[in-house]
Amino acid sequence: MLVRLIEMIENNAASMAKELKGKLLSDPSTSSYQTLVDQTLYQNIFEIYSRLGHWLLRDSEKGEVRTHYSSIGRQRFEEGFPLHEIIQALVATKRHIWDTVLEKGIMRTTRELDSAVDFITYLNRFFDMAIYYTTLGYYRELQLQQAS
Amino acid sequence: MELQKLLKIPKKAVWRRIVLTKKIIDLIEANALQLSKEIKRELLLHQSTRSYQKIDEKILHDWIYDVCSRFSYWLDEDREKGEVQQHYKNLGRERLLQGFELPEVISALYLTKRRLWAFIAASREADSALNLNQIVEASFLLVRFFDHAVLHVSEGYEESLRSKYGYEAPLSNPERLSEAIAAKQKLEQPIYEEPKLPSLCFTKGMIRFG
Repeated sequence: MLVRLIEMIENNAASMAKELKGKLLSDPSTSSYQTLVDQTLYQNIFEIYSRLGHWLLRDSEKGEVRTHYSSIGRQRFEEGFPLHEIIQALVATKRHIWDTVLEKGIMRTTRELDSAVDFITYLNRFFDMAIYYTTLGYYRELQLQQAS
Repeated sequence: MELQKLLKIPKKAVWRRIVLTKKIIDLIEANALQLSKEIKRELLLHQSTRSYQKIDEKILHDWIYDVCSRFSYWLDEDREKGEVQQHYKNLGRERLLQGFELPEVISALYLTKRRLWAFIAASREADSALNLNQIVEASFLLVRFFDHAVLHVSEGYEESLRSKYGYEAPLSNPERLSEAIAAKQKLEQPIYEEPKLPSLCFTKGMIRFG
């Protein structure tokens, strides 16, 4: 069942990425994202949704999640993004997954609800780490700049 | 289906949600002392929150206890917009002045959330009367609360960076933002070339494309 939830997101990755891209571009609290090339923004979101299983089921405290999101944090710092906008965008990315799960109405039976609990655990663990390492990458870059 | 309807209820019906998940919230509040001790221990030992070792243990305990013992109070949506926002913005400002690094503050919030979530998930095994709808719903409230807390802590911390060290992210400045958007739009504009019309010449009543 957990796999079914993950696959459902992966199978809808293209439309979900398009929807979220629209939201981020029109939301004043993430206005810095308007400076990213549309295709890049779409691709960044698609990369999360289309490989959700890969991200969720990895050890999110080390390895790829750490490297990838620290690098995103550094990059966004270089691009001049305020940190809270990046956090806002990651939270919106997570919420869009959750909204889609609710919309598709696959939480009726006890078994489905059980899987939902597992899904929430994995989803939050991944996004907590993504936000933490993005902040860490951003913050280290800021310290370097302040020191020089 | 009921759960899905509930989770989609916008803004105002939070107290209804809280009534439905009251049992879980009550459990957190009833165990606030024990939970606070455990969270404090974790913050003191975890390598991502090392600066918390500098804080007086009693003060640290009180900070955590304040969240755990009044969990229903913090989950109230009106306060989420106003008081929670203000509280966590102030916390962000304060932590910078106290010498904490922002990643540490965020990690501390996540460790707190993780412990509370583990407690909620374990409550189900301890109390079979708790149904899964309540567990999912409580987790939804928990996650939303900490999402807001992390976001506002970062805002407050960035505000303090600006006032204390004069650092401001370039795109926070509306002029810089407009310039950057204009530059990107220019970059994305398709390069338009006048279509080349075929040169025509008439030869014996036929059109030949040159």
